[in-house]
Amino acid sequence: MDRRTLLKAVAGAGTLAMPGRLAAPALAQGAAARTLRFVPQADLANFDPIWGTQYVVRNASAMVWDTLYGVDEKLEPQRQMVEGEEVSSDGLTWTFRLRPGLKFHDGEPVLAKDAVASIARWSVRDPMGQMLNAIQQELTAVDDRTFKWVLKKPYPKIKLALGKNNTPIPFIMPERVAKTDPFKQISEYVGSGPMRFVKNEWAPGAKAVFERFAEYAPRSEPVSWLSGGKRMMVDRIEWIVIPDPGTASAALQNGEVDWWENPIPDLVPVLRKNRNVMVDIADPLGNVGSFRMNHLYPPFNDVRARRAVLMAMSQEDYMRALVGDDTNLWKPLPGFFTPGTPLYTEAGGEILKGPRNLDAAKKLLVESGYSGQPVTCLVAQDQAITKAQGDVTADLLKRLGMNVDFAAIDWGTVGARRAQKTPPGQGGWNMFHTWHAGADCVSPAPYNAIRTTGDKAWFGWPNSPEVETEIAAWFDAKNLAEEQAAMARVNKAALDFVVYAPTGFFLGYQAWRKNITGIVKGPLPFFWGVTKTA
Amino acid sequence: MTAAGAAVAPDLPDLLPAVKPRHGILGFLRRHPTIAAGGALLIAMLMMAVFAPYLGTVDPTALAPARRLRPPSADHWFGTDMLGRDLYSRVIYGARVSLIVGFAVATLASVFGLAIGLFGGFIRWADALLMRVMDGLMSIPPILLAVALMALTRGSVGNVIVAITIAEIPRVSRLVRGVVLSLREQPYVDAAVAAGTRTPMIILRHILPNTLAPMTVQATYICASAMIVEAILSFIGAGTPPTIPSWGNIMAEGRALWQVKPYIVFFPAVFLSLTVLAVNLLGDGLRDALDPRLAKRL
Amino acid sequence: MLAHVVRRVIATIPVMGVVALFVFSLLYIAPGDPAAIIAGDQATPADVERIRQSLRLDRPFLIRFGEWVWQILHGDLGTSIFTNLPVTTMIAQRFEPTLSLMVVTLCFAVAIAVPVGVLAAWKAGTWIDRSIMAFAVFGFSVPVFVIGYLLAYVFALELEWLPVQGYTPIADGIWPWFENLILPAVALGCVYIALIARITRASMLEVLQQDYIRTARAKGIGQRGILFVHALKNAAVPIVTVIGIGIALLIGGAVVTESVFAIPGLGRLTVDAILRRDYPVIQGLVLLFSFAYVLVNLAIDLLYTVLDPRIRY
Repeated sequence: MDRRTLLKAVAGAGTLAMPGRLAAPALAQGAAARTLRFVPQADLANFDPIWGTQYVVRNASAMVWDTLYGVDEKLEPQRQMVEGEEVSSDGLTWTFRLRPGLKFHDGEPVLAKDAVASIARWSVRDPMGQMLNAIQQELTAVDDRTFKWVLKKPYPKIKLALGKNNTPIPFIMPERVAKTDPFKQISEYVGSGPMRFVKNEWAPGAKAVFERFAEYAPRSEPVSWLSGGKRMMVDRIEWIVIPDPGTASAALQNGEVDWWENPIPDLVPVLRKNRNVMVDIADPLGNVGSFRMNHLYPPFNDVRARRAVLMAMSQEDYMRALVGDDTNLWKPLPGFFTPGTPLYTEAGGEILKGPRNLDAAKKLLVESGYSGQPVTCLVAQDQAITKAQGDVTADLLKRLGMNVDFAAIDWGTVGARRAQKTPPGQGGWNMFHTWHAGADCVSPAPYNAIRTTGDKAWFGWPNSPEVETEIAAWFDAKNLAEEQAAMARVNKAALDFVVYAPTGFFLGYQAWRKNITGIVKGPLPFFWGVTKTA
Repeated sequence: MTAAGAAVAPDLPDLLPAVKPRHGILGFLRRHPTIAAGGALLIAMLMMAVFAPYLGTVDPTALAPARRLRPPSADHWFGTDMLGRDLYSRVIYGARVSLIVGFAVATLASVFGLAIGLFGGFIRWADALLMRVMDGLMSIPPILLAVALMALTRGSVGNVIVAITIAEIPRVSRLVRGVVLSLREQPYVDAAVAAGTRTPMIILRHILPNTLAPMTVQATYICASAMIVEAILSFIGAGTPPTIPSWGNIMAEGRALWQVKPYIVFFPAVFLSLTVLAVNLLGDGLRDALDPRLAKRL
Repeated sequence: MLAHVVRRVIATIPVMGVVALFVFSLLYIAPGDPAAIIAGDQATPADVERIRQSLRLDRPFLIRFGEWVWQILHGDLGTSIFTNLPVTTMIAQRFEPTLSLMVVTLCFAVAIAVPVGVLAAWKAGTWIDRSIMAFAVFGFSVPVFVIGYLLAYVFALELEWLPVQGYTPIADGIWPWFENLILPAVALGCVYIALIARITRASMLEVLQQDYIRTARAKGIGQRGILFVHALKNAAVPIVTVIGIGIALLIGGAVVTESVFAIPGLGRLTVDAILRRDYPVIQGLVLLFSFAYVLVNLAIDLLYTVLDPRIRY
């Protein structure tokens, strides 16, 4: 007899009979079997995937809105809402034709003008969309089911742009909704995806509810990530926000929820022991940790100081601090790109491999001219990932002989302060921690953080014409072999210049109850094909 | 004046047991065992905090992720936390911050609260104004204050103290005011007023001693509460920064793991409980000592 | 008396005004940018600036404050920056869980603490007194979340008697509503019980020394009569004060309890809004809290006059 049963027996014998827990009130037994209760990684505070680019918004939006293309497991874009496309011989004119029978949740058919307006809104906020905008001649609807996109230069990756999984995804919304300014929120959540958003049951920060859209016509191909036939096997999906990992773990074990997006690694052994719970890797593309430096001010404006950090840092320390002792969950990363993908490369990564050389690093730091000025580290305490990395960094920089000015603040403040270009002593910063989804680090295309365009670059403002040249070469590469060669050069150049210091590659688990089947690994939780048996 | 055989009132038996007078500090402590117990425990905690470096501790911020989450052993008496830091050292050093926070908040809140409560309770025209300001102050969630302060500067012990103190002042002032309002109507106060005693004298001699008892109890509670609120602020991420261990932030950091590694929460919780117990015993004892009417009953 | 009440109610307005100004200023000077959070990690500084402009956060302080006050006077608390829902809707959604939690906790705490405190005072000096007080000390020396976890572990996970998280609206049934609140209320109430019991005991001890108690005993009034009719009423002022002050405490404790037990209440809404700098929501919530505290304190003050007729305003 296991411990739990014994406890219950003793408790039951020793006290008056307690009423057993009542079944979930508002739903009948049958209906309960068709409701999937999911614990998301964060709360769904807003629901505009173009305006608010957080991952959790994208994940929910993927149920409610559909896309023209969708990437499969190999990150190849496949047709989704599009029935067929044609490109002119000079590569400048793309004509897309929509599938028949596509409907919005309010009953209206999906028309080409809806697609046109949605793409226009999305392209303002998305890096690839912005590139397309820059070379766009015209984007118009030809008839109800066809639209054409005329460019001034060829853009072979256009299908990837329309089908990628990196946020923001070009979801297709009704024209009237898509005409909202991309810097303002939409207020109507009408899409053509397999689930409908039940707005009047939405309690931001607590609960979000989705119901199956009966008139969704899935494709006939087998489903693979965002491509293929998205068949919903449950009628209702409830997103239940549980901020405390211990509580979420208990709720999963108890059967109060069915699927948990991101259990913390240290609790996974407990979940594994439970006979009703399954655990597996959530996203094979994982995440890349980042020690982001400010290239405008000392000490990190000198490449030698940056290299000193790379020499001294132990990615193992960072990764263990983040994901614990489970070696399935992390890999050292001698570069900036996602392991396990065709374009992965370790070229130039020797500085991050092998035993750490603290003395040489200290010497290099002194050579760079560092003479004890405070190094301001912005560490957000309310995000587990940045908090853990920050603790390791404080220790690392102290051992390097730096004067650490540790600013324990919250993520909101980090967001504001990292945008300041003022000197660290006057409200600026020297470094902060963050992380990037592996899906965003597969290639330079979606990867804002690797660009070194100086003032226009991401926070830290690295400026390196060499790295940019190599990146441009990758964009011009015409086949896989050329791309891989270009990537090797990009990686090496970026490491030599030290755009930022990657702290390692880490993965996360997901956990679900045994009576749920059809859950796959992917860059976002995919709800199609997921079945719940009673 | 007794004649032989005349009735003489018999000696009354001693109603009260003979009280052997004891003098000096030792006597004082014997008569007030709660002060002795509480004081001793508190002094032990203080000594522990002061002499932390000599108690077999290592650097509490030295991390070693390769040795994370080890259970208690000969090397690490309390085990290691999720970054490989020695928990024993963190708990011993953590006493410093928690005690400082507790005492600073209790003292500051009591001083300010007493001043405001006395002023408002005794001087009618100020009462309405002050109490409305106190109401206003109470409605600002201390969390908001703490996060705002943290954002304005950064997480620090000082910010935590200020945020919690501001939240506690209204409570003390209300309590003092309540007592003052009751006492104001007492006959001896009326008599003092009739005798022409100036107000400050009345406050000092009549009101103040009567507020001390409830205030001491309240102050001990505030001290304990401040240490706990510090833990809650750490829970949200607005407490003392992780580079400075405190019992509160050790517990907050370990809370997600307490099903698998309960010792991370357990050890600071034990120390915190003991300290709070000590503070309360001390408070109880002081109250009894200050209020002679209660001394004999206990 | 009525005049006093009316005056107090009117006096809440300037109080709330001052609080509003204070909080508004605090948020204005505190760094942290909802626009940055909205724009997401990959956004460029230009994007963030555009969002700030569309949220109209770049206008001067007095204009923003004036606009907000004008809105309030028309009964409009504004719209959340993040969810685009009206602040009143968001507060209304989360109001019931928090109110339920606080009422249940309060009832539970008072129902246990006052009799226990009276018992301790009556048996002062005996082992009953000492053990009650020791237990009380334990109650508030451990943080709420530790008690919460312990309860959740034992009763929800191991014994499976009660649910571990969530909230059921009272409209869906009294027992399910209560079931979800039992563990959080006990966790939150422990601290409260300890405090009230101690103050009750201290206050009762003071009163039990009084002459009129000895007179009552001499008159032959039974123990229960003495304790509850004569003594408790006179001891009530500090007890009621502490209960009132404790209501203020409950909001702080509610934040933690709501996080631990995943109750969708105002406490969590406050923390989430603060960390995201969702200014309209923060401002609306603080106004609500200040109004609630003022009402509670008014009620307490009025209760004083009932309990102690010597207190007059």
